[in-house]
Amino acid sequence: MHPRCIPALGNILLRRKKFLIGGIAVIAAIACLSYVGLSGSTTYYYTVSEFIEQGSSVIDQNVRVQGQVLAGSVEQEDVGRILRFTIISDDGNDTLPVVYEGVVPDAFTEDNDVVVEGHLDSAGIFQAHTLQTKCPSRYVPEESGES
Amino acid sequence: MADVGYVTLVLALITSIYSALTYFFGQRQDRTTFVESARNSLITTSGLVSLSVIILLHALIKHNFQIEYIAAYTSREMSLPYLISALWAGNDGSLLFWAWLLSLMGLVVVLQRRNRGTALVPYASAIIMLTEAFFLIVLIFVSNPFTELSYLPADGMGLNPMLENVGMIFHPPLLLAGYAGLTVPFAFAVGALLARKLDEEWLLTIRRWILLTWLFLGVGNLIGAWWAYVELGWGGYWAWDPVENAGLMPWLIATAFLHSAVMQRRRHTFKVWSMVLVILSFTLAIFGTFLTRSGIISSVHTYSESHLGPFFLIFLGITLFGSLGLLLYRRKWLKSDAESEAIVSRDSTFMLTNLLFVGATAVILIGTIYPLISETFSGAKTELGVSFFNQVANPIFIAIIVLAGICTLIGWQRPSNKEMIRKFLWPVGVAVVSCVILWVVGMGHWTAIVIFSLSSFIIVAIVFQWVKEAITRHRTSGSGIASSFFGLVGANRPRYGAYLVHIAIVIIAIGITGSSSFDVQTEATLEPGESATIKQYTLTYENMEIDHVGDTKAVLRTTLTVYHSGKPVGELAPEKWFYMNFEQPVTEVAIRSTLVEDLYVILMGWDETGAVAYTFMVNPLVSWIWIGGFLFLIGGLVVFWPDRRRSR
Repeated sequence: MHPRCIPALGNILLRRKKFLIGGIAVIAAIACLSYVGLSGSTTYYYTVSEFIEQGSSVIDQNVRVQGQVLAGSVEQEDVGRILRFTIISDDGNDTLPVVYEGVVPDAFTEDNDVVVEGHLDSAGIFQAHTLQTKCPSRYVPEESGES
Repeated sequence: MADVGYVTLVLALITSIYSALTYFFGQRQDRTTFVESARNSLITTSGLVSLSVIILLHALIKHNFQIEYIAAYTSREMSLPYLISALWAGNDGSLLFWAWLLSLMGLVVVLQRRNRGTALVPYASAIIMLTEAFFLIVLIFVSNPFTELSYLPADGMGLNPMLENVGMIFHPPLLLAGYAGLTVPFAFAVGALLARKLDEEWLLTIRRWILLTWLFLGVGNLIGAWWAYVELGWGGYWAWDPVENAGLMPWLIATAFLHSAVMQRRRHTFKVWSMVLVILSFTLAIFGTFLTRSGIISSVHTYSESHLGPFFLIFLGITLFGSLGLLLYRRKWLKSDAESEAIVSRDSTFMLTNLLFVGATAVILIGTIYPLISETFSGAKTELGVSFFNQVANPIFIAIIVLAGICTLIGWQRPSNKEMIRKFLWPVGVAVVSCVILWVVGMGHWTAIVIFSLSSFIIVAIVFQWVKEAITRHRTSGSGIASSFFGLVGANRPRYGAYLVHIAIVIIAIGITGSSSFDVQTEATLEPGESATIKQYTLTYENMEIDHVGDTKAVLRTTLTVYHSGKPVGELAPEKWFYMNFEQPVTEVAIRSTLVEDLYVILMGWDETGAVAYTFMVNPLVSWIWIGGFLFLIGGLVVFWPDRRRSR
C-alpha cells in the first residue's frame, strides 16, 4: 500500500467506527423498546378446552379464548347492548359462558368461530371486553359442494 | 370451458418453465436464438394466463355456477363491478389474479424499449418466469379456480354484503399488484448478481418499478384502512392484524430501499444494503401471503384454505436463501466506491432512516409471528396486543419523520455550524411555539403535544426549504415567485415529489395522533324524542323505518337529528341491512365528517318498545389521514411520472 494512503485508511476506519457505533446504538434502542413493549402486552391465547383445563388459576387474568358460538345460546339484553352466549370447544365437550358488552361485529353468528378477550369472574362467567370474529372477506359458504 | 381454463394454466406452466430455463442457459452460453425463443415463450405464457383470466371472467359474468369458485363468490343479482371483483374475492381467484399481473409485468419488462439494463433482462426474465411457474404450480395443484361441482346450483352464494363497498374494487387489486410488482426489482437484483453487472445499472432499471409497487402498496393499504373505518363499524382504521401487517411490511422495506437507492446513485454506497432490501421486500410479500393463507397465524382475515402453506414455505426458502447466498458469493463485486464523510450529513440521516425502517419492520414481524415463537419456545401460546405495536413501532415512526425534516434542512454537503443554526431557527422556533400554544390551550396529552410540535417542525422545514429554493430560482431565472415555486416541481420531480410525500406522511401522522389520542366514545339507549350528548354534539333520535329494496334486501333506518353547540347541523341515519341469502345483518355506520372531527354513529340494537341502542364516537382529525393519503398519491405520481428528457 502506498504510504500516503495510510492516514486516509485510518480516517475511513474511524468514520466506519462512528457509523458502526451509531448503528449499534439505534439497534439497541429498538431492542430495548421492544423488550419493554413485550413485557406489558402479552396475552395468553387458549382454546376453550385449554382454558377450562387451567381451572381457577386463570380467574381475573386477561386472556384470549377461541371457540365456536353454541347454536341457540345467544341472548341479547338491554336493547342489544349486552350479549350473552356460550362458546364450545371443537369436540363439543367443553363450554364457556360469555358476557360481552359493546358493539357486536356483523360476522358474529351462531356456529361461527370467535375469539373473546377478557377475564373469567369468580362465578365462572367469562367477562369479555373484545369480541372478534373471522373477517368475512374470504367467506366460504357451508354448502359449497363437496368441501 | 372450465377445462379449457385449466388446460391453459397447465400449458402456461410448461411455457414459463421452458422460458426460464432457455433464458438462463441462452444468456449463460451467449446464444441469441435461445434468448429469442425464451422471449417468445414468455410472451406466450402471459398470453395463456391472460386467456385463463378471460375464461374465468367470462364464466363469472355468465353465471356459470358449475364452477365451484363462481358458485361460492357470486350470485345472479350482483352488479358487474362486483362480479369482476369476485376475481380477487377468494383465495384461488386472487392467486390467479396475482399470477396474471406478474405475467403482464414480465411482458412489460421484455417489450419495453429501454436504453439501459438490456443485458440484465434475460436473467431477470428468467427469475420472473420461475416465480410465475411457482404460482401456476399452486394454481394447478392446490388452488384451481376452475374446479367444477358435480351438480349445477341454481344460484351462487353471492359476495358477502359487507364487502359490497368501493373498497372491494380497489383495495385487493392494488395490494396484489404491489406484491406481484415486487417480483420485478427482485428479478433484476438477482439478474445483476448472476450477470456480475453490479454497477448502478440494475438500480436505475428498477427505480420506477419499485416506485410503482411502493405506490400500489401505500395507496392499497390506505384504502384498506378507509374501508375498515367506514364499513366495519368499530370506529378504527388499523388494528395491527397479521393481514394488515403483511401489507405494511413490504411497503416499509420498499420505502427504505427508495432511500438507500438515492444514496447508491449519489454516493455509490449502500450497495449490499440496497440489494438486501430488494430481496427482503419480495420475500416479505411471499412470507406475508404464506402467514395469512396457510392459517398458521389466526387473524380476523384468515383464508379458510390451509394446503398452501408448504408450497409457499418452500418457495420462500428457495428465494430467500438462494438470493442471499448468491449475494454472499458475489460480495467482492459489491464494494462501496466512496466512504461517508461527516456524521452530521445526509449520508448519516439516510443511513439512520434505513435502519429505522428495517427496525420497524423487524418489530412488526416479531409482533406478528409472536404467537408462533411463544408456542415453540414456551409451549403456551401468547399473543401481543395492539399496545405492543403502538408502544414499539410508533416511536420509531416518529423518529423517521423527524429525520425527514432534519434531512431536508441539512443538504448534501455538511453545512457550516452557522448555516445550520440559520436553517434550523425557523422550523425549531415554530415547533417550540406550537408546543407552548398547545400546552397553554390545555391539551392534556403529552405525546400528542410532542408529535404535533414535531410535525410542525417538519412541515415548516420542508416548506421553508422549498420557498428558499423558489426564491433562488426566481432571482436567477427572473420568473415570478409562484411560478418558480411550482416550476421547481417540473425541474426536479424526484426531489419535490419526495417533499410532497414527506408532507403527506406528516399529515397522516397528525390524523392518526389526533384520532387515537382524543377519541371519545359513549353508549346510549334512546326512546323516540330522547337525546344523547357527546362532546359538543347533541343527537336526538327521531324515528325508525324499514325500506324494502328489491326482493332480497331490507334496510332498517333510524334517523337522528344532530346539533352542534345548540345549532342544528343535519341528520344522521345509521342503518342495518338485512339480506335473504345472508344470516348476518350488515351494520352501516353514519359518519358526519369535518376537518376537525368525525361524529361516528353505530346502531347497536333495538327492541319492540321502540328503544334503540347506539354507540357514539367522536374521532378528531380522521379526515386528515385521507387527505394525507391523497397527497401521498399525488407526490408519488410526481416522482413516478416519466421524465421527457430522460437525461440519465
